[in-house]
Amino acid sequence: MTAAPGGAAVRQVPGPPRFGRRARFAAVLAVLGPGIVSGFADNDAGGITTYSIAGAKFGYDLLWVILVTQLALFVTQEIGARMGLATGQGLTGLIRERFGVRWATLAALTMLVANLGCIVSEFAGIGAALSLFGVPVPVSALLAAVAVITLISVGSFGRVQYVFVAIGLLVSAAYVVSAALAQPDWSLAATSLVIPHGTFSGAYMLAVVGTVGTTITPWGQGFIQAYVVDKRLRPEELAAERLDVLIGVLITNVVAAFIVIACAATLFATGQTDITDAAQAAQALGPIAGPTASTLFAIGLLAASLLGLGVVPLASAYTACEAFGWEQGVGWRVREAPAFYGLLAFFIGFAALFMLIPGLPLIQVMFSAQVLNGLLLPVILVFVMLLAGDKRLMGNLASGRINLALGWGVTALLVVMSLVLVVTAFSG
Amino acid sequence: MIHLSQVIGQPVRDQNGEAIGKVADLIVAVGERYPPVTGLVINTDRRQIFLPWSSVAAVDVSGATLSTSQLDITKFSQRPNEILLKLDLLDKQIVDIDGRRVVRVNDVSLDEVEGSLRLVAVDVGTAGLLRRLGIERPYRRIARGLGRSAGERYIDWEDVDPLESTIAAVKLRVPHAGLAELHPADLATIIDQLTPRDRAGVLASLDDEAVADAIEELEPDSQVDVLEELQPDRAADILEEMSPDDAADLVADLSDTTRAEILALMEKTEADEVKELLGYPEETAGGIMTTEYIAVPANLTAAETIDKLRALEPSAETIYYVYVVDDDERLVGVLSLRDLIVAKPETQINEVMIDEPVAVGVLDHQREVANLVARYNLLAVPVVDESGRLEGIVTVDDTLDSLLPAGWKSHLPRRFPGSGR
Repeated sequence: MTAAPGGAAVRQVPGPPRFGRRARFAAVLAVLGPGIVSGFADNDAGGITTYSIAGAKFGYDLLWVILVTQLALFVTQEIGARMGLATGQGLTGLIRERFGVRWATLAALTMLVANLGCIVSEFAGIGAALSLFGVPVPVSALLAAVAVITLISVGSFGRVQYVFVAIGLLVSAAYVVSAALAQPDWSLAATSLVIPHGTFSGAYMLAVVGTVGTTITPWGQGFIQAYVVDKRLRPEELAAERLDVLIGVLITNVVAAFIVIACAATLFATGQTDITDAAQAAQALGPIAGPTASTLFAIGLLAASLLGLGVVPLASAYTACEAFGWEQGVGWRVREAPAFYGLLAFFIGFAALFMLIPGLPLIQVMFSAQVLNGLLLPVILVFVMLLAGDKRLMGNLASGRINLALGWGVTALLVVMSLVLVVTAFSG
Repeated sequence: MIHLSQVIGQPVRDQNGEAIGKVADLIVAVGERYPPVTGLVINTDRRQIFLPWSSVAAVDVSGATLSTSQLDITKFSQRPNEILLKLDLLDKQIVDIDGRRVVRVNDVSLDEVEGSLRLVAVDVGTAGLLRRLGIERPYRRIARGLGRSAGERYIDWEDVDPLESTIAAVKLRVPHAGLAELHPADLATIIDQLTPRDRAGVLASLDDEAVADAIEELEPDSQVDVLEELQPDRAADILEEMSPDDAADLVADLSDTTRAEILALMEKTEADEVKELLGYPEETAGGIMTTEYIAVPANLTAAETIDKLRALEPSAETIYYVYVVDDDERLVGVLSLRDLIVAKPETQINEVMIDEPVAVGVLDHQREVANLVARYNLLAVPVVDESGRLEGIVTVDDTLDSLLPAGWKSHLPRRFPGSGR
């Protein structure tokens, strides 16, 4: 119970009628729904890094990929939210019920590998951010581990996340302003946004898969569905939830586009096409922050990493536990939910130890994790699409023909893309 | 004992030992303590066929053998009390009544009981999970090597409560008799874990009082969610069964439209009590008090008072204290049930009652109420308005809520700490 409004002032008979908690927080609820949290968490350390790399290496060339990816993100996130509303269950739980334990295991393992990549990427983000202040990587790894354990165990992430979101917004705004100040070629940017073009080289395909992989993620797909269930949203709230997803996608889209433009107008324009460390990536913020660009970039990367770390490990452990019917969630004591806490410990331990590899190229690690996510994504999306059209499961919230066509289209595109990447990688 | 997973996919042979297809599913008729197998679903080259149990000679881990040579290829229509073990039960969620939790079915155990093959237990252990993945044997070897138990966990079918999303396919009304026996706090924990569809089924099968008791044990957020999932008239019935203070707390958290709708559907007396309580701020004695208490006039004898108690059959939470009021309903004394029983029957109660009892004002802060209850070791404390009229009582359990840290009731808060409403 929170404090009564007014305290001593209400000592006259009779007091004002009480307001419901829901009424009080209605405004907050309307702003920060599952889609928006998910959207923000998409622009995590891996996101900022990948968009920076894309902008620096290919200038404006990849902007159209960002637009297409965001449209696809809306389709997949909307389906995820709808499945949560219709079934009240998480993604892997549905896969288990519909396709049996073997397929559920496959899905859970796929998620696990992709998510482990994400968590390592968030740790690398903290490492890269703190490296700008001269903090050695092993120390940042330790700090990151402590930070994530604190975030999860204190259980007040609900409030803490607003701080990260606020910092995230600030840094996003910085990119927008920085892009504007750098005097980019706006007409080229605009045409690149809508007209697909580029070279189908290995590096280009890698950047495409990385961009898709950092935006549409296996964990994000599990997360939005679980969050909708967790929040106990009801089918009547579908329209509001769609709006929430749309806003989340728009935020991701605008920020991603401006990071690319800022990097294109600064790094790409000056011929620094290969970002190898955080200091270099930070130069994209030079036009607005000048000499303090590094600090601004570091703060943004740090906040983005922490926002990701508050969400991804929990979502990952939850996904795995749901598939196997194990107790899940921070509401259980460690003894009651050994698998859940064991997984969390494994994620954090693995990521921290990974960081101890000497001479680890942090930026490259973050980028590779996004490519890995992009490659594994189709596996999850196939399950999502098979479930989305299942009338027995989804009732009248099942996807219609157009939605199914869109969803399968996206999935097919991703499969082709991943195949092309694998082929180009092997053919050198 | 055999496991369903060991039978599925095994060959089905006719009388002459010729393979005609593979076991696709087993059908059982629920209702009995251990449901007997009533049929077999077989995948042949061309189609899926159904065989009644009468034409099956044996089923074991090597497959099924038929007792007839000719196949009756009737199209399968599920009877209302029949479930398909693989399709309806395997990998689904069930309630483990004994363990008081929601679990997923990893495998199903069948055994010969009273001359027929029956469903006896569901397997929810690690061994069952790994059996399904085909790695049970290596796992057992490793477990034995390490001197660990193999993680077997079976739930006797008697202790299993199948859920609606499982059974809904066959339109069977699930009685949930086992759940009705649970302590409200345990029932609440389970309700909290269910999907909305399953929760609707469980709540529909329980009576209003059982649901009311369980809802009282839920976190405020969950209370609102559960109540809003119900039909408004059912919600009103359930609120009537709740103690007025808990009902008021819950009604206060509803949205304005739902609140008006539900209050209008409640019985007038109960609705009025709730409305009155809604007028007090949440953190005050008025906000946590209940209006169900025992008050008697001062001129009764002990015997008359006891008779009156019996006649009233009070549903009040606390009858250990009997409050004594004057004609204007002003609190003048209090008697414990003990005082009343040990007093001589003809004694006037104003002779044995405690005069000027400890009381709190309706707008006193709940912390002060808690302090008083603790200092005087009370089970309940009366609440009076500024003219001394008795308005309600605060019971010791409700004062505890103000002392304990927020969220202590949460057996299962949200998975993502930020997702609460």
